[in-house]
Amino acid sequence: MSELFNIIKELCAADGTSGDERAVTKIILSMLPDDCEATVDALGNIIVFKKGIKTPKNKVMLAAHQDEVGFIVTYITDDGLLKLSAVGGINHEVAIGRQLHFAGGTVGVIGGKAVHQQSEEERSKPVKIDSLTMDIGALSKAEAEKYVSLGDCAYFESNYTELGDGYLREKALDDRVGCAIMIDMLNKPLPYDVTCVFTVQEEIGTRGAKTAAYTVHPDYAIVLETTTACDFSGNDGEKKVCLLGGGCVISYMDRGTIYDRELYRLGFDLASKSDIPCQTKTLVAGGNDSGAIHTSVGGIRTVALSVPCRYLHSPSCTIKKSDAESTAKLAYEMYLALCEKS
Amino acid sequence: MTMNINEMLYTLCSVDGVSGDERSASQAALEMLRKYTDDCYIDDFGSVIGHIAKSGKKPKLLLDAHIDRVGLIVSYIDDAGFIKVGAVGGPDKRVLAAQSVTIHGKEKIKGTVSVLPPHVKGGDSAVKIEDMVIDTGFTKEQLSKIVTLGDRITFDCEPTALIGTRYCAGALDDRCGVASILCALEKLSGKELAFDIDVSFTVQEETGERGAKIAAYDLDPDYVLEMDVSFAKTPDSDRAKCADMSKGVMIGIAPSLSRELSERLICLAKENDIPYQLEVMSGETGTNADTISVNKSGAKACTLSIPLKFMHTPAEIIDTEDVMSTSRLIAAFAMKGGADNV
Repeated sequence: MSELFNIIKELCAADGTSGDERAVTKIILSMLPDDCEATVDALGNIIVFKKGIKTPKNKVMLAAHQDEVGFIVTYITDDGLLKLSAVGGINHEVAIGRQLHFAGGTVGVIGGKAVHQQSEEERSKPVKIDSLTMDIGALSKAEAEKYVSLGDCAYFESNYTELGDGYLREKALDDRVGCAIMIDMLNKPLPYDVTCVFTVQEEIGTRGAKTAAYTVHPDYAIVLETTTACDFSGNDGEKKVCLLGGGCVISYMDRGTIYDRELYRLGFDLASKSDIPCQTKTLVAGGNDSGAIHTSVGGIRTVALSVPCRYLHSPSCTIKKSDAESTAKLAYEMYLALCEKS
Repeated sequence: MTMNINEMLYTLCSVDGVSGDERSASQAALEMLRKYTDDCYIDDFGSVIGHIAKSGKKPKLLLDAHIDRVGLIVSYIDDAGFIKVGAVGGPDKRVLAAQSVTIHGKEKIKGTVSVLPPHVKGGDSAVKIEDMVIDTGFTKEQLSKIVTLGDRITFDCEPTALIGTRYCAGALDDRCGVASILCALEKLSGKELAFDIDVSFTVQEETGERGAKIAAYDLDPDYVLEMDVSFAKTPDSDRAKCADMSKGVMIGIAPSLSRELSERLICLAKENDIPYQLEVMSGETGTNADTISVNKSGAKACTLSIPLKFMHTPAEIIDTEDVMSTSRLIAAFAMKGGADNV
């Protein structure tokens, strides 16, 4: 396994939903080389500066988010069952009926009445967690409270799995892949000074990116992300959005950002020059830290480079490893080009 | 060395054995049964049969539980390499999105139930089995060397002990019934028995109680105790149709069951301080007892159920104390009989 995937594996195993990224932060800090200056800001963003051989013409910032989607305990019933709310946008169907765990190791399942007891109408509707509870095996509120407190967060089970022909499945690939690309880059000698930010609270409204961008105030930003791919059977044409194996995704527009046209084109030019597979999205959907960054401190020219990912925000995020490698390569080329850009 | 209940459940729930392809589960259960008799085997249809006591002078008691589990079956591989499936038994399809699965082909491979993200899917209906595809990351050509139409698919879930004596795994329906019989046999070792006793762990219950029909014909019992699972209360379920988890074995009362046998079991539970609950049904029980009781010229049957949450989902939950109370009641009946009164 190359270093990039070792880093991804270790990062994904850590649990850190929006607002409680501390376990992830600790691992990221431990992976940074000694020649970096790292600070953690008030929200929890890690801001890392690394001196390069030369001072660049432009200050370039790379960004990826630390947080993952999860669940938060809002209430414990007298019977010892837990009510939860989603942290970030989760299709509830991907969480109900399977094990979730808390940071302390307590395991539980969100569920409801058996399929045999559901009405025809109930069976035909998607399940929602609002009407259901999580069972951790506690038989009373007092017993549950020995293991779980209000505000504790529950996570998908981590299970790093190599699938099929070069695919990788794991929780939290969104966006530990982006974090891993930056960590891998920071561990190598760099030609130009660079700032990398590992943002928090992306999943609940790109909140960490707001303060990180303000603090760093770069000339250019490169956002490293994962993005929804629906390239499986049942979807045709533009509904596939982007393709696993198609290379790095360079975005022109999503729900948060209309991307800088010059940088968008630069991405394709650089990819073409260095023979890096790349593509764009065929659906205007989703959003990422670019939305917060590009409108910060009077405007920051921003480009988003993403790894296409199936089943985003589920325990089974799936990427093709070659796409992560393409995105890492293109991120590096983009950093060089923006440092030198006149 | 005697396995404890968690070890038994871990072993039994870690093997596949979807209806019609129960070999590995039958083999695992057979190995566990060997501790109590050398006279045991797998019959031509895959069910495990064991003769525990055979005097030829006492009435014959059959202890039965089903060995199969619900799952999916490979029905088609499309040109892009995605697998179309059919349901085997009645899995709760609403909780399968992004679920990790194992396809039991020439080798075991992992896959994911494909799911569209909400912003692409639209609408408000649960995904139908016929619209699901399994994503393995292989091309059709690669897949065709491993997977054949008709291969079974199981839902992945690591069997896990929860708080206290609660336990979470797939296939607890009805592997915990199998465990309750094995635990009862442990209690009966070296004891004076009121019956000649046969044990069967039967196949294809989930698809219509077929294994039980075949096994019962061969064994021709006078009395039947059927160990299966039934509904444990969840907040959204109808209180009148559920039992409480952790409050003991559920003794069935139903028109298709022997009223005398139910009454005798209630009496034995009281005499022996075995926690029990009543499960009242108004017609047939939906368990193998219905089929076995009408075998040849008939048998007196009762269903003993273990309360279970989230039936037919990947992560079912029981209390192992309920398995123990079931096994105690089986043992009490096997020793004390009361056949004269029944």
